[in-house]
Amino acid sequence: MDVLFLLVPLSVVVVFALMAVFAWALDADQFDDLQREGARILDDDGDLDGDQRSP
Amino acid sequence: MTAARLAIAPGARPAPAPEADDREAAWVDDPDPAGGFTTWEDAAEGARVGRSHVRLAGLWCAGCAGTIEDALRSEPGVVDASASYATGRATIVWDPARTRLSSLLAAVRRAGYDAAPDAAASARALRRSEDRKALWRLFVAAFCMMQVMMYQAPVSFAAPGTLSDDLRTLLLWAAWLLSLPVVLFSAAPILRDAWNGVRLRRIGMDVPVAIGIALTFVVSSGATFAPHGVFGSEPYFDSLTMFVTFLLAGRALALRMRHRVADALEGALTRLPAAIRRIESDGTTTMIAPHRLQRGDRVRVLAGEAFPADGPIVAGETEADEALLTGESRPVAKRAGDEAIAGSINLRGAVVQRAERIGGDTRYEAIVALMRAALTSRPPLLRAADRVAAPFLWCVLVLAAIAGVAWSWLDPSRAVWVAVSILVVTCPCALSLAAPSALLAAAGALARRGVLVQRLDAIEAIASIDTVCFDKTGTLTVAGGDVPRLELQPAADALGLDETAVRARVAALATASTHPLAAALAVTSDGVAPSTEFVRIDEHPGFGVEGADRSGRRWRLGSAAWASLGEAATDAAAGPETWLGSPDGVLVARFAFDERLRDGVVASVTQLRAAGVDVRLLSGDAARRVRALADRLGVAAARGDATPADKLAEVAALQARGRRVAMVGDGLNDAPVMARADVSFAIGDATALTRSHADVVLMSRSLADVAAARTVARRAMRIVRQNLAWAAAYNLVCVPLALVGWLPPWLAGLGMATSSLVVVANALRVDRRSR
Repeated sequence: MDVLFLLVPLSVVVVFALMAVFAWALDADQFDDLQREGARILDDDGDLDGDQRSP
Repeated sequence: MTAARLAIAPGARPAPAPEADDREAAWVDDPDPAGGFTTWEDAAEGARVGRSHVRLAGLWCAGCAGTIEDALRSEPGVVDASASYATGRATIVWDPARTRLSSLLAAVRRAGYDAAPDAAASARALRRSEDRKALWRLFVAAFCMMQVMMYQAPVSFAAPGTLSDDLRTLLLWAAWLLSLPVVLFSAAPILRDAWNGVRLRRIGMDVPVAIGIALTFVVSSGATFAPHGVFGSEPYFDSLTMFVTFLLAGRALALRMRHRVADALEGALTRLPAAIRRIESDGTTTMIAPHRLQRGDRVRVLAGEAFPADGPIVAGETEADEALLTGESRPVAKRAGDEAIAGSINLRGAVVQRAERIGGDTRYEAIVALMRAALTSRPPLLRAADRVAAPFLWCVLVLAAIAGVAWSWLDPSRAVWVAVSILVVTCPCALSLAAPSALLAAAGALARRGVLVQRLDAIEAIASIDTVCFDKTGTLTVAGGDVPRLELQPAADALGLDETAVRARVAALATASTHPLAAALAVTSDGVAPSTEFVRIDEHPGFGVEGADRSGRRWRLGSAAWASLGEAATDAAAGPETWLGSPDGVLVARFAFDERLRDGVVASVTQLRAAGVDVRLLSGDAARRVRALADRLGVAAARGDATPADKLAEVAALQARGRRVAMVGDGLNDAPVMARADVSFAIGDATALTRSHADVVLMSRSLADVAAARTVARRAMRIVRQNLAWAAAYNLVCVPLALVGWLPPWLAGLGMATSSLVVVANALRVDRRSR
C-alpha cells in the first residue's frame, strides 16, 4: 500500500486544481446565463468555425 | 384590468417616434455620469472605452441574444458586446472616438429589437458579485467536504491496529490541508460576523456556530499534529466541513431570495419614462434625461407613454390608466386642468403636462417607498428555526464548558473529548432542519396544486392566519371581456327599433372607439353588419361616442348620464354598463357588463368562514359596488374607496388587535398592504411586480386554493412541531449521555446524522397525505 503515499498528496493537488478551474469558469461569466447555452444549438449559423460557414 | 394588462405588457412600450431619433441622441450621448448607464475605462495604449449597460426589448427566444450581439459587433467602434436573454440586458464596450451610443442603439433597433439605457446597472452588478462570492464559498466548502470525508473514513472506521501510524498521519495531514480553505475562506463571513457580534456584546446565531467551528478545528489540528497532546487524538474534519457546507447552502438560498426582491423593485422603477420631451420656451421639443426634469417644466406626453411627474394637464385631452397606482380599473378621463400621476399611462392622444411634483415627491415614488418600508419591517426569514436554535445553542455552549471544566477535575485526558462530543452530538442540524424541511415539503405539495410559495416561512404565517382581506377588482371579480347583456328599453319600441337595428348602430359607434368596453361591444356584435347611416362619428374621451346620421341627428353611446343628455343618473352599484341614447335624450338600450366572479370565490369564502376565519373586502373601488359584492358573498366587513395608505392602515389596525392577516390582491396599489400583511397572496395574472413580491402566487387562478393552502400549511406546522419535539427529545437523551462520557464522538456524529434523517423523513409526510 506504499503507493498511497504518492496518491494521497496527488489527490490533494487535483482537488486544488479542480477548484482553480471552477474559479476560472465562475470568473469568466460562465454561470451567468445558463439558459442560452442550451438554445445555442438552435442558432441558424451555430457556432461552427468560420471556414465551415456557407459563403 | 384588461387595459392595465395591455399597458404593462412588454410589447406595449411604444417605438420611438421617427422624429425623436436625433433628439434622443442628445441625452443618450450626454457624458454626464449621473445617467449611470455608462462607465469609462482605460483600455490599452491610453485609449478610453465606454462600457454601457442597456435594457433590451422584443427578445422572444434565447437565440435573439446572439442576433443582437452579431448586429452590435458588426458596427464600427464596438470593442465587445454581450447580450443575455435571461435578464434582457446587454453590455456594450465601445470606442468613443469611433462611434456614439445612440448609433449603437439604432443598430439594435435596425436588427428588429428595442434598446434603452439601463440606469440601474451598477446596483445589479453589485448583486451579481455578491451572488458569485456566495456560490464560490459554497463550492469550495462542498468540494473540500467530499474529499475530507474520503481521507477521514479510514481513520475513523479502520479496526485497531490495521492502519499504520504513518498512513494515518498522512491522511490526517491531507484532511487538515483541505479543511484550511473551508475554515479560513468559506467560513470567514461566519467567523467575522461572530467576532463583530462579540465585540458589540450582541448574541447572534453565528457566535455559537463560530465557536463550534473554531473548537473543532483546533482540536482536530491538535489530533493531527500532536496525537498525544492536550487535545486528544480524535479528528473531526468531516463534521467540521459538513457543518460549514450546510450552513453556507442555506445562506446562499436566502441571498438569492433577497436579490429577487431587489430586482422586482428595480422593475417598478423602470416604469417611469427613460427620456422626457420637454417643451422649451420657444415651443421646440427637446429630449432630456429624467433627472434633468425641473419643477414647472412643460412636457409633451404621447399616447402609450408614462407621465413623468405629478401635475396638471395644460393642453389636450386623453384617458389615463391609473390602475397600478390607485386601483381604479377603468381608464380615467383627463382634460386640461386635471391632475395626472407619475407612472400612470397615457392611453390616448398627446397632451402637454406641467410638472409640479418630480422625483421623490411624486405619488408613484411614495408608493415605491411605502413598499420598501413595509418590506423591511417584515419579520426575518426562517425565524422559526432561529427562535428555537439560538437559546438552545447557548445552553449547549454552557453545558460544553461546564462538562469541560468538570471533566478536567475528574479525568483531564477526557475533558476536551467530552466537550467536543457535546458540541457534535447537539450539532443543531436536526433543529435547523426541523422547520425548513417540512416547509419545503409543504411548498412542493402546494406547487403541484398550482400554488407557488415564494417565501418558505410564509407557510408558518399561512397556518396562523385568522383574517383574510380580499381586494375586489381583478381579484374576486374579473371585469369586462364577457358578452355584454343587451336590455332594450321601452323607448326602443316607440322609436321603431328592434334588437338588430340597435346592435347595428352600436356596432358602428363602438368600432370607432378604443375604450375597453367599446372594444368588447365591437367584438360581440360580430355577425351584425354595422349600420351605415352615420356620416360622422366623434369620440368624447371619458364620456362616449357620438354619431351623426344623414339628417344631422346625434346618437350617443356611453354612460347613462351622458347618453340621456344629463337626464338619468348613473347607478354606481350596477357594475360596468354602456347606454345607447336617441337624439332626443331617450335611453334606448343598456349593455350590462357582468363583473364575473372568479372561479372558486364562493367555495373559498365558505370554507374559510367554516374554518373560523374572518373574511373581509378591502378595495379601492366604489364603496357601493364593494358593498353589493360583499352582500352577495355574505361577507359582513367590507370597505370601499380605500387608497393604498387606507388599506395599509386598516391591516395595521387589525394586526394591532392581534389578528394574523392575509391579503389577497393583484395590482401595484395592493403591493404596500400585501408587504405589510402577515402573508400575501397574488393572483396568477396579477402584475409582475405584485407577483414577485407576494408570499404566495395562485398560478391556478382559483381562489379555492387560499383555503387549501391554509389546510396544507397547518398540517406542515403540525409536522414542524413534531420534528422540533423529536429533536428536543433526542438532545435531552444524548446530552446527558455525552456529559457522563458514555458517548464517544463517532457515536455522537452518527446520532446527529440519524436524527437529521428522521426529521427529513417525517417532513415528507406532508406531501403524501395531501394526495
